[in-house]
Order: sequence, then structure tokens, then C-alpha cells
Amino acid sequence: MRTVTLRRVVITGMGAVSPLGADAEALWHGLREGHSGIRPLRHVDAARLRVKIAAQVPDDVDPTAGIDEHTLPLLDRTSAFALHAAREAITQSGIDFTQAGLGARTAVIVGTGVGGETTQDEQSRRLYGENAQRAHPLTIVRLMTNASASHISIAWGLRGPTYAIASACASANHAIIQAAQLIRHGLADVAITGGTEACLTYGALRAWEAMRVLADDACRPFSGNRHGLVLAEGAAIFVLESLEHAQARGAVILAELAGSGMTADATDIVSPSADGAAAAMTQAMADAELAPQDIDYINAHGTGTVANDVTETRAIHLAFGTHAARVAISSTKSMHGHALGASGALELVAVIGALRDGVVPPTVNLEQPDPACDLDYVPNVARQMPVRAALSNSFAFGGLNAVLALKRAP
Amino acid sequence: MNETTQQQVFEMVAKAAKTDVAAIKSETTLKDLGVASLEAIELIFDIEEHFDISFPDQQGANFDSDTAQSLVDAVQKALDAKAAAGEGSK
Repeated sequence: MRTVTLRRVVITGMGAVSPLGADAEALWHGLREGHSGIRPLRHVDAARLRVKIAAQVPDDVDPTAGIDEHTLPLLDRTSAFALHAAREAITQSGIDFTQAGLGARTAVIVGTGVGGETTQDEQSRRLYGENAQRAHPLTIVRLMTNASASHISIAWGLRGPTYAIASACASANHAIIQAAQLIRHGLADVAITGGTEACLTYGALRAWEAMRVLADDACRPFSGNRHGLVLAEGAAIFVLESLEHAQARGAVILAELAGSGMTADATDIVSPSADGAAAAMTQAMADAELAPQDIDYINAHGTGTVANDVTETRAIHLAFGTHAARVAISSTKSMHGHALGASGALELVAVIGALRDGVVPPTVNLEQPDPACDLDYVPNVARQMPVRAALSNSFAFGGLNAVLALKRAP
Repeated sequence: MNETTQQQVFEMVAKAAKTDVAAIKSETTLKDLGVASLEAIELIFDIEEHFDISFPDQQGANFDSDTAQSLVDAVQKALDAKAAAGEGSK
């Protein structure tokens, strides 16, 4: 094999559609102001569901706006989210894929937990509930997990490595890491990456109810009175480039994706392990050539379940030692909810905002101390402070951990 | 009636714990029996299906520390509530 010089990877565009609004700026503004996107569940079957709240993309945000009429029938909600966010990110980056064969040097790697769940649910309802004789002919192209990545590729003529990554709640972080690795190792100059999820269907909501991990009134990460997560939907998509490529075209750099860590607990299918999470954080710092005292902020996985928040706290102690008490930690899921395969991407918008603006978004609803959660979670109000470098944690059912390490733009 | 409910619940707990029903005492917890979190949730589901009831969501639900008797009590409470509602949903 040929040897390659590892290239630095930077972020030059971001886009989002989330419970806090139609773009990345709305998401970041909402988070730093401590606004919650969690509302009473809006669903045709809400009356017979036990789950009462969710963080949904508001009705006045149309994720299909601007998508051409030939493409629209091909899209599940999850792909519409991805296209919407990708357009914002690509526009912000100012990149022109028609120049110098760049399309062939651009990868598209999109994370999603389950892909076209809305399509799956609709067609199951038709077939089993209404005894329909045939499924809609576009069922397969709408529901396939790679649909979001493929539609981004087609819309902008991107012909490099293109595929989906699925690792439940770590999907977005795994996708972003994969995209960064392609650039780092010279297999692509640019990558469009992030995560998308739209799975608030009757079937999926019933499945989550049955796991008994959903909160009934609010998401309260790290608070003594927390009792579960709040499901969400949305997407965030980013433009990643090699540092040289971004500098050569005079791009505005939002942040550097300096390193990453990925581990598996190899213990339990749902119960998290502090060792696995700590190892991923330690790897991410080492990969980025950062020491614990260089990290000013951790965007926690922070789901608000009893188990996650205690285990994640233990993991931060393990990875950071004495510096654990000095690092600012927050769970923005307290505001945008848990968008599963998109969550790491929504949270990267928060991390970029923190690095760029020097503001750490808060953990809202932190009402009661929990002796087992003994770190600085930036309770309820954002904090102005210089943020030189940050970690962003995502941990998934299945025992999968993916951590990003980011630095301020060079 | 209570005897029957208790017997049925204990049998289901024993099955989940892969042990003999004689090993199930009122004060035995699922944790004592090695029924871990996901298995406990599965047992709750089996009990709901068996009795055609729904347990209310617990605040900070932790079935691991529930005793066999507390499960029986919860089933009885749900059955009573169902009877009081006149089984209108059937």
C-alpha cells in the first residue's frame, strides 16, 4: 500500500433542521438561549399513545421547501430533512462542485438509526391494517437506509464514496468520523456528512414506550429527578474539507475536526459501560493531540436516563482524572431532545457554536443535584467562556461509543 | 382470586428467571433472581399481555428492585382498575 501523509480536516459549512427551527442558526440560537423544542406530541394517533411529549420539527418548517417536484415523491421525511440541511451547509461553505472535477473527489456519508421509518410504517399500515393488496411502488427507494446519502450525491453531482452508517444513537458521530477519515487519508478532498432521523411513527413510538425509557414531562439530564429521554427528529449536515483545500479556495473555517475515538463496550446490549465510553474519549483526545486540560467543553451524550447520566459521569472521571471537575459539560438533548441517529450531528452544531462564539450552551431542567452526577453541567443558563477545544460524545444501544474532538478554527 | 393472580405472576417470574416457582418468595426481587434490566422489561411485557392490562409508567422505573409481591400487587391494582372501568375497551 502507498503511504499517505495524514491531512487536517476542517468544517466549512453546517446546516440543520431541528425542533428549534429551519436552520443551524435557529438551532444554535435556541440552544444558547436555553430554549426547549420539546412540546406535546403532535401525531394523528397521539390520543392512544402513552408517550405525551416529543421534540418535533415545527409544523411551520417545511423540510421539502426548495426540493424539485421530480425528487419529492422519492423522499421519505428522513431524506427531506437531510437534503434541507445539506443545502444550507453547502451554500454556507460557498463550495462549487462543478469546478475542477471536485464532484468526483467528494464523499457523502450520512448517519441514520433506521432510515425511512415513516415509509415503513405507512406501508405496514396499508398492508396489515387495511388489507391493501399492493405496496406503493416507491416504497423501497424511500425507505432504504442509504436514501439520504444518495439524494445528496445526486442533487450536487457528488461521485466519491457515498453510503449510510447505522449505529443507533451514535450513527451521526460514526458517519462524521468516517467522512473525516476519508479526507485525512486522501480518499476524498471534501465530504458531506452528518445525521438524519425521522422516526416518530406510531410503530416506533410504541416500541420506545415498551422499553420504558421515555420521560413523560421533560428531559432532565444529570438532574436527580430525571426519569428518561425525550424522542426527537431532525438532521444536521456538514461540509468537511482538508485544511489545504479549504485554505486554497479561501473558505471560512468554522472549526477543526481534530480527532476521534471509537470503541465498543462488548458487555450489554443496552446497559452502558463507563470503561468503553472513557476509552473512546481518551482515544479522541490522543488522536487530536490534546490533553484533558486542553478540553474546555464536553457536549455530553446526556440522554436523561437514570443509567446513561451516571455512567457518562463516571466515564468522564475516568478519562479526565482531576481535570473532570474543571471541564464544562452540557447535554443539549435537554432542549433538542434525542434525535437518535441525528443526535451527534445536532450536537456538533452546538459544539461549533461554542468554539466560535465562546458560549457553552446549558443543560436545562437541571433541578436537583444527584450525588452520582457530581460534575459541572452548566445548569440552566449558558456560560460565556473561551472554548479552545471540545469533545462531543455519542453512545449507542449495542454498546457503541463515538467521540469527536474539535478545535477552534486554525 | 388473589391466590390465583399470585400463582400466575410467580410462575411467570420463575420462568423469566429460569428457576422453579418454589424459589419465588414474596420478598424476592428480580435482581435477586438475576433478571437484568432488559429481561425485567420483557417480563413486565409478558405479564401485561397475559392479564391484558397496562402498567402505568413509573417515574424512574427500576423493575430490578421490584419484589415478586409488588408485581402481584401491581397486577391486582391494574385488574381492579380494569374491572371498575367496566372493561369498556373489550
